[in-house]
Amino acid sequence: MAVKKDYKDQKLAEKLRDRKYYIPDSNPGFIKEVEKIGQTPAHMCYQCGTCTGSCPSAPRSSYRIRLFMRKAVLGLEEEVLTDPDLWLCTTCYSCTDRCPRDLAPTDTIMAMRNLAFKRDIVPRNFLKTAQLIYQTGHGVPNNDANRAARLKLGLEADPETTHKHPEYLPGIRRILDHYKLKENADRILAEGE
Amino acid sequence: MAEVKKYEEPRIGVYVCHCGTNIAGSIDVKAVMEYARTLPNVIVADDYQYMCSTPGQNKIAEAIKEQKLTGIVVAACSPRLHEPTFRAATKEGGLNPFRFEMANIREQNSWVHMHQPEEATEKAKDSVRIAVAKASLLEDLIPKSVPVEKTAMVVGGGVGGMQAALDLASAGIKTYLVEKEPTIGGRMSQLDKTFPTLDCSQCILTPKMVDVFRHENIELLTYTEVEEVEGYIGNFDVTLRKKARGVITPEEATARGIIGGGCTGCGDCVEVCPVIKPNPFELGMAPMKAIYVYHPQVSPLIYTVDFDSCVKCGLCVDACGNERKAIDLDAKDELMTVKVGTVILATGYEIFPIEKKFEWGYKNYDNVITSLEFERLICASGPTGGHLIRPSDGETPKKIAFVLCAGSRDNTGVGKPYCSRFCCMYSLKHAHQVIEKIPGAVPYIFYMDIRSFGKMYEEFYYRIQDEGAKFIRGRVASILEDPVTKNLHVNAEDTLLGRPIDMEVDMVVLAAAIQPTAETEKTRRLFGVSCSQDGWLLEAHPKLNPCGTTTAGVYLAGVCQGPKDIPDTVAQAEGAASAASIPIHRGEVELEPYFAVCLEDKCAGCGMCVYQCPYGALSLIEKDGRTVMHVTEAKCKGCGTCGGFCPGGAIWMQHFTTPQIVAQIDAFLLGGEQ
Repeated sequence: MAVKKDYKDQKLAEKLRDRKYYIPDSNPGFIKEVEKIGQTPAHMCYQCGTCTGSCPSAPRSSYRIRLFMRKAVLGLEEEVLTDPDLWLCTTCYSCTDRCPRDLAPTDTIMAMRNLAFKRDIVPRNFLKTAQLIYQTGHGVPNNDANRAARLKLGLEADPETTHKHPEYLPGIRRILDHYKLKENADRILAEGE
Repeated sequence: MAEVKKYEEPRIGVYVCHCGTNIAGSIDVKAVMEYARTLPNVIVADDYQYMCSTPGQNKIAEAIKEQKLTGIVVAACSPRLHEPTFRAATKEGGLNPFRFEMANIREQNSWVHMHQPEEATEKAKDSVRIAVAKASLLEDLIPKSVPVEKTAMVVGGGVGGMQAALDLASAGIKTYLVEKEPTIGGRMSQLDKTFPTLDCSQCILTPKMVDVFRHENIELLTYTEVEEVEGYIGNFDVTLRKKARGVITPEEATARGIIGGGCTGCGDCVEVCPVIKPNPFELGMAPMKAIYVYHPQVSPLIYTVDFDSCVKCGLCVDACGNERKAIDLDAKDELMTVKVGTVILATGYEIFPIEKKFEWGYKNYDNVITSLEFERLICASGPTGGHLIRPSDGETPKKIAFVLCAGSRDNTGVGKPYCSRFCCMYSLKHAHQVIEKIPGAVPYIFYMDIRSFGKMYEEFYYRIQDEGAKFIRGRVASILEDPVTKNLHVNAEDTLLGRPIDMEVDMVVLAAAIQPTAETEKTRRLFGVSCSQDGWLLEAHPKLNPCGTTTAGVYLAGVCQGPKDIPDTVAQAEGAASAASIPIHRGEVELEPYFAVCLEDKCAGCGMCVYQCPYGALSLIEKDGRTVMHVTEAKCKGCGTCGGFCPGGAIWMQHFTTPQIVAQIDAFLLGGEQ
């Protein structure tokens, strides 16, 4: 357990806080839960860094997928689920393509996002995307600029999606309702206001 | 010869071993022993801490004498481990050693049922009951001896095969060294320097090649492949295909009556040959004529015609002249059969086709090369005279990235799951060579772990780091080429910094994984040797019999058994040579008497078994006016295929007879309630 230090100054207290890894701080069941959801044996990671080396997000952000794999294996549940970096994966699956241990790091990240969502830890933009999908069937709906660009390219203004076939929207909404995604997104966003 | 004894009724002794806590930790040994006392025919039952110890063995020997036992059962470990031990103890007590039966209650019981002591104890009782049932029906068996041919064969003329052949030959054994290429030397002859001593590879190898060529007991058969193998330990008949070489040696010339003729290695033929093709020894980086030697130090120094590309213009024949008459463009493959007592396989390795890992761009980007290509480029006798150049423009590279574990330690199904074992060390050596030869050059080594396990290897790692090589702990994720400069961008993560890297370098060297040679699979099948999942040949025991195989009389040397560096290869070759010489020096081998026996009065001579036998051990003969089956005992492995099949029940499998097996099944199914 981390040793508490009694600094009056909050900044100093944060700077000098105990950062050691203590076994009681970790949840040994965490990796099992992550593997059950992610369906990939994440504990077989040998930390080569091929994932981070392949990651298009890593050079532009503080997102380090290899570190998430490590923390998952060590059971650092709190640290992982509260880390905003967890949401920086674009799910391009480059790491999964190249992982020499044949793991799916992307699926491990998605599993941890699932667990975070269960605790209402999720960035607002993700929730807004969920709302947009509910409303329009698109995470990024068509807009006037796009429509103009499409027409210029000789395409129809709206693509062959719910934009053109809004009759499919009820089906999409039914799925989202089943998983209470819209309901939870609305609730969490309202609580955050 | 020992006589076969029969006994009135079976009297069995049962011994249950504790194996410390290995068995007694989960099995109630006393309960198993008490249970054994209730079984039919059991006269004595006892338990002991370590049955394999001298007091344990003495218990068996003494009980046989005192209680007039006719069969012994030991419930302990696997028969693979201690069957020979307890057979010796049985013999010591005056019984035929084959009147011993083992019940495995360790590997197949206590170790796997560690957490189920009650069930494990019940299973151990079952095992003992079954063993007692068999022991009650065991018979005296007399092993047969077969003479051993005083010659040996080594397949593969790399450094391992050469060392094995030299050792056998120096021990006074006539040895055939078979090599598919036109010269011996193997992979080692392609290397520039060797780690960690930095000896010139050719300088230490060439004297050995000459020794092999000159040794009076070695018959060197280059450009030759194994075609067919028949026989068994002591008596292998190996058919060899001497591929058409198109050039005759001075000895062959003399035999043909061309006195003073034959190839002298002068090279006059090469000058005139109009055909140019890539030299495989230089990995295609240098040209070669259709009549060729790979390099100046080949052994034997005899040219070879590549009949795949030769246009038979005859210019070489004219250049060779009427006195030497060394070239014969009408040469055909020849088959020859030799008889040998033992065989050593030393078939080596080849580089894994690393272009299959497309993210590194090999064969797509000019300046991505393999480590073996690097060896040829840095070698003074190589295609560039030892000047390391970029294939794209001939410039000298200044920043060179080395990619370790390229295709090794890869579980994707594309690469190899194993560690190729010598890439770390040769890449350190490559880094040294770059620093030594190119002023201002920096080698960047992308590694996951540096495995510098051998003698003076860690010290070598220290030295190379001190010389200025840069180490980056991270596996290379991808390589991209700048289409204009042909420079390469190496993408990886420095896992120690936790930061992605995009490093622009002039050249990339992939330390590609290794795999068994293409011919290994065919060769191993000819000799009946097993392989592991990854294709490497399987040793008889990974620790206690690393040179032997499960086929008696066939041994392994070098990388064909698994990745290893030169010191380990040479050491294993010497071990294999020693093992292969034992049967030859003894002059005869004893065969386990587990062979099939034909009960001639029941045999109808249908011959179906002859087709079933996987070892070609059976044949039909005429005897007393009838056709009956005959077993060549030395070839029979006792597999039981024929015995299980025979429609007339005319085949008796010694030590696994039908009554014995039926008794075992009955004992199991009836649960001892008969």
